[in-house]
Amino acid sequence: MNAPATAHIFKARPTTARRREKTSFWLFRAATYLVLFCGAAVFATIVVKGSRSVFQAKAPFINTTFFTEAPESLYVFEYQGKKMELGDKAYRAFKAQNPDAATVKTESYVYSAGGIFPCIVGTVLLVVGSMTIALILGVCAAIYLNEYARDGRFIRFIRLAILNLAGVPSIVFGLFGFGLFVLFFDWNVSLLSGWFTLAFMVLPVVITASEESLKSVPKGFREGSLALGATKWQTIRKNVLPYALPGILTSSILGIARVAGETAPIMFTAAYVVRDKLPWDVEKFSDFFFQGVMALPYHIYVVSSKIPQNEYTERVQYGTAFVFLMIVALVATTSIVLRNHLRNRYKW
Amino acid sequence: MASSSTPTTISFLSRKNRFRLFGLTLDDCIRTFFGGNALISVVVLALITFFLFKEGAHFFAQNDRNLRIYRQAGLEYVDFIRTQSDDHTALTRSLSDLRVRTLNELTQKQNRPLAEANAALAGFDAFAGQFSDAVDPLRSLVSDLTEQATEIKTKFIVAGDKQEERNQLLAAGKTAEAGRVQIAVINFQEELKPLLATLPAYREANQAFATQLKAVMATAPTLPTPELQGRMDKFKAHTRDYLATFPAVEHKLETWDYLKPVPFWQAFTAFIFGREWLTASFWQDWYGVIPLFVGSLMVSLVALLLAVPLGVGAAIYVNQIASLGEQRFIKPCIEFISAIPSVVLGFFGIAVLGQALRALSQFTWLSWVPGFPFSERLNILTAGCLLALLAVPTIFTLAEDALNNVPRAFKEASFALGANRLQTIIQIIVPASLSGIISAILLGLGRVIGETMVVLLCAGNRIAIPDFTAGLGVVTQPVHTMTGIIAQEMGEVVRGSIHYRALFMVGLVLFFLSLGINYLAQRIVRRYRLSIG
Repeated sequence: MNAPATAHIFKARPTTARRREKTSFWLFRAATYLVLFCGAAVFATIVVKGSRSVFQAKAPFINTTFFTEAPESLYVFEYQGKKMELGDKAYRAFKAQNPDAATVKTESYVYSAGGIFPCIVGTVLLVVGSMTIALILGVCAAIYLNEYARDGRFIRFIRLAILNLAGVPSIVFGLFGFGLFVLFFDWNVSLLSGWFTLAFMVLPVVITASEESLKSVPKGFREGSLALGATKWQTIRKNVLPYALPGILTSSILGIARVAGETAPIMFTAAYVVRDKLPWDVEKFSDFFFQGVMALPYHIYVVSSKIPQNEYTERVQYGTAFVFLMIVALVATTSIVLRNHLRNRYKW
Repeated sequence: MASSSTPTTISFLSRKNRFRLFGLTLDDCIRTFFGGNALISVVVLALITFFLFKEGAHFFAQNDRNLRIYRQAGLEYVDFIRTQSDDHTALTRSLSDLRVRTLNELTQKQNRPLAEANAALAGFDAFAGQFSDAVDPLRSLVSDLTEQATEIKTKFIVAGDKQEERNQLLAAGKTAEAGRVQIAVINFQEELKPLLATLPAYREANQAFATQLKAVMATAPTLPTPELQGRMDKFKAHTRDYLATFPAVEHKLETWDYLKPVPFWQAFTAFIFGREWLTASFWQDWYGVIPLFVGSLMVSLVALLLAVPLGVGAAIYVNQIASLGEQRFIKPCIEFISAIPSVVLGFFGIAVLGQALRALSQFTWLSWVPGFPFSERLNILTAGCLLALLAVPTIFTLAEDALNNVPRAFKEASFALGANRLQTIIQIIVPASLSGIISAILLGLGRVIGETMVVLLCAGNRIAIPDFTAGLGVVTQPVHTMTGIIAQEMGEVVRGSIHYRALFMVGLVLFFLSLGINYLAQRIVRRYRLSIG
């Protein structure tokens, strides 16, 4: 192809400005995809290494003990030329059968055998309780701010408080919960303390999300109802909330991801390093609220900082991180998908 | 629902049946109820402040006592001499550093075998040995005095405990038992006499030390290259300065008085400006927030340096450059990154990133990077990289919002005047949304500085101000942070102890810091917002 010496008259000629534009655009693009790449790298590492301890080659393909057992110590030793890796219970049974096994040099790693069932249960309990509290308080607050309040100094003050509350570090919420619920109310390290601490932490998110969806309900809905003689409350209950509720719930799911992911607030208020009993093993019903639980994020912190890194402990470390990441990712994806779905459904 | 609503409407019409509570109609009640819920965030903020103060405020009284006993038991007196001895140790360390450099020079640059190089350094070693031995008389004096002062302090603390015991017995109504508790009254003047009597011995030791040092300095060897010799000269100058401080130390010791009152504000300044956080030590506990604050700040700075270009760049790309399909893909992805729990990121740092960065730093072709190679895998850089990933979604979302709020007309006018897309972005759109972008960065800073788990797991947890003489290489040193120390030590401290209260004070500092950052961000948005009309 022998191109003509001069291109078409309207074709863009490469000038310095154009080159500069192109290079900078590539730089911006690189920055964006670098961020995505880093996120993907973290995700992929955890998924690849974690899936080894969660899935297995044989049916049922999922490592059920990991999901149904409590954490145990792992004992590693060589017995009659065979390398044995046994959890706490199995090791004791084995020692009872073969008394000479007690003399063999044994390495032990805490929390490295068994599963993470109590942690999953604890996290679910914490999330359900705290989100219930946060939703009740948050939706009511949002109704007031959006439906009743007239703009004034008082309302601006409340909004300022909400904004500032959103910026308070999570560890400060932990200290606050420790000071108020654990010590002052004397609830000790318990579910109830954790619920309220987490609920207050996520409150700004819920309020903002709820206000957003209340705002998206058209004014005509309210005016029509009021014109027909309904009271303010009847209007809100019958003509505003039903339309806003799906939006409130979906946006609040992101709050769930935040609550489930936080470790610092529950460190001193609700989480135990290890607890033998499951939450429903209580004598009195009221004891249920005043017991500490194990939680996934705190368990990850414990297994990643308190025990050494090696091939035996790696399984529980990556496995726990994988399960936790999957739960949070599932919640976050649900929220994002539902929200996009909702945006397309309601168009007033 | 439908059947119940009909009667309600009717009862609403008849005035008589209207429900009233304290003279409020049902609607007013409902309104008040919702208003009360809205107030909760205000109440929570107030409660946070109150409870942090409640648990933390007593810290100052306790720290005041802590500092007073430091003076009265003579610990301060001993520390004058100890500082002198420690300064000497620092000089010795720089001397051994100099030896390593010289050895490297001889073996690597001049290619001499190790044995020969060591032989060439024999003169240097003799000099260094004499230099470090010169301090011995002083050091033995310090260790004697340390024992004496510790004894006085222990007596005082035991007396305090006994007092506490008696108070508790009295409170329990056991007067007889309370009377039996023996409380020793400590006469500090008497107790301090043997300590202060060592002053002539100190003078003598100091004299000997000074003459010895001077004699040793005269024998200082010359080093092979001008660069090393320059370092040697600097060392000599330092030693001269060090010798010049001796009379001042002596003067301090002579004029020291245990009765000199400790002003109350010192309990406050010792916390805010204290350069040492030392707990559970046998000698003296210090609660200074500066090392933790500097640690938090360094980690956040590194994180922001990485996150701001990436976050703002990504926001500009998505908002202005990317196609619609790309936007639809990138936005949820970044939102998804923000959902990664920080503890998982921290674990990733421990398990993968720390190792990877250290391995990267060991490559010889990267040794020009400041701070490389490093051996601590958990350090400012590791934590900073992970925090950057946490901060990017925050900065991205808020900055993108700010860019979105720039009116279309701005862009169109710019194009109409012949600017190309890059010029429009850099000179029109970004400046127009600058206030929003800056507040996004500030909120990102707030997010990073308050983050706990990543820094707790990945920052290295060494409580010391990083060595800024290393230049930019400072980012490869381990630090401890304000958030990290609360999370780490809160579970272990005795409730009500000075250490416990100090942690609440750190929490209070953190709380006000985050409020300040938030306030600044809002202020910037409001103040510098373009009036778009």
